[in-house]
Amino acid sequence: MRKYTLTLCIALLAPALSWAASGPKLNIPSFAGLAQKASDSVTITVDPAMLGMAARFLDSNDPQDAATKDILNGLQGIYVRSYTFDHDSAYSQADIDAVRSQLTAPGWNRLVETRSRKTHADVDIYIMVDQGKAVGLAIIASEPREFTIVNIVGAIDLDKLHKLEGKFGVPKLDIDTSKPAPPPKK
Amino acid sequence: MNDAAADPLDDELAKARSGERAALGVLVRAHQRSVYSLALRMLGTRDLAEDLTQEVFMQLNGNLRSIDSNRHLHFWLRQVTSNRAIDQLRRRARVPLTSLEEESELFSQEEGSDPMLQRHMQALLAELSPQARAVLLLRYQEDLDPPEIARTLDMPLNTVKSHLKRSLESMREKTAGMLPARCEDSPP
Amino acid sequence: MSQDIEPRDDIESRMRTALRPVTPRQAFSQELLARVLVDPAAQSKPRFFAATRVRPLAWWLTASLAASLVLAVGVHQHLQQQRLQQSGLEARREVMKALRVTSEKLNLAYEAVKSQSTSLQDEESGA
Repeated sequence: MRKYTLTLCIALLAPALSWAASGPKLNIPSFAGLAQKASDSVTITVDPAMLGMAARFLDSNDPQDAATKDILNGLQGIYVRSYTFDHDSAYSQADIDAVRSQLTAPGWNRLVETRSRKTHADVDIYIMVDQGKAVGLAIIASEPREFTIVNIVGAIDLDKLHKLEGKFGVPKLDIDTSKPAPPPKK
Repeated sequence: MNDAAADPLDDELAKARSGERAALGVLVRAHQRSVYSLALRMLGTRDLAEDLTQEVFMQLNGNLRSIDSNRHLHFWLRQVTSNRAIDQLRRRARVPLTSLEEESELFSQEEGSDPMLQRHMQALLAELSPQARAVLLLRYQEDLDPPEIARTLDMPLNTVKSHLKRSLESMREKTAGMLPARCEDSPP
Repeated sequence: MSQDIEPRDDIESRMRTALRPVTPRQAFSQELLARVLVDPAAQSKPRFFAATRVRPLAWWLTASLAASLVLAVGVHQHLQQQRLQQSGLEARREVMKALRVTSEKLNLAYEAVKSQSTSLQDEESGA
């Protein structure tokens, strides 16, 4: 079921080409106030120069490094902000909305929207497509004590993203229509 | 017989404390396997284990002067590695970053190892609480006795013993179907 | 009772076998050594300098300065190389961390999608 849902999403997104308005790089606020309140915060800004430098330090003979290198090829930036708090509701919806509002711009399409009643984790995955290729990815994950924004800019090859499976724990999203769906786990 | 006096790494520690970087290198090389293995089995992925190993040795830099023997150093490294790993696991308890099975190749490189058994043990370890996992690793990987584990984790001795008992019982149950006949009663 | 003890011993010996320490990648070992040895905190003040500070001989200071100048170029180049390597390794680490966070959040979405589809299937089979 989820295979069809997600494949359908990808198929529908492919023609959505009018993204030029804002581009795939989000304007992520500094969240300085949140960083002070957070018990753990992760701020990662990887620009093209850093990507190139990192790629030079990846060992092509190592399977994980090789897969990572392959993914980095074509990317222009990776931006991550993640804040973990000791208490619930330490951040406001407005903090998230500041980013989410940018994803209503033309070109951005919501690929996945999940609301978990069990973990109270909301995860939205957005993708920007140009000429049938993903050129931007945004993830907004909000949980009672944590919120995370990921923005990947550049030619994101979904096949390569698929290859990431098992390397960093990326799950099979069944985005590759050329492969048959894996048998259900019992 | 005095073990402490016989430890050649005590000299290296003394040299490292007085600024000899080569000696520090010797100590890092001598202990990195233990720290890395502990981190790897606690956290389950190579990247996290490498990050933690590096953090621990960087922290050692600032604490070198407070360490008076190689034995003390080993204790300190185990303690810092275990505590940092437990903290990380507490923060990230909800989402397993990488299934341990996917990392099984990491554990199958050792001579004479049984990859299937290692994979299975890793999967079972992953089901334990961070503290219980640390207790088991210190017991069976690092070969510490319960009082030493209690000191390392700053945990009451009885808690250590009960972690060991419960974890072993659980592991014995879960491996009952997998382990060869030695573990089983005679066939019906 | 003896049946109880035998499996216990067996599981313990198997645990010891399975949990033998593993060796980190060679590349990582080298990186670790490089970082630990380069870190300024690692460089406790050598006794040599401590002794030098209290030595009143002016000629020695002059000689030290001269030696420092001679070494400066070489040291500068060496440090620059090290800095470059540090930056590269740091960039690699940041990228890996970013991908890890990304995968963690994708995993979260995946789990939610999976549980939704499972409950849908349950409902369908229940109906």
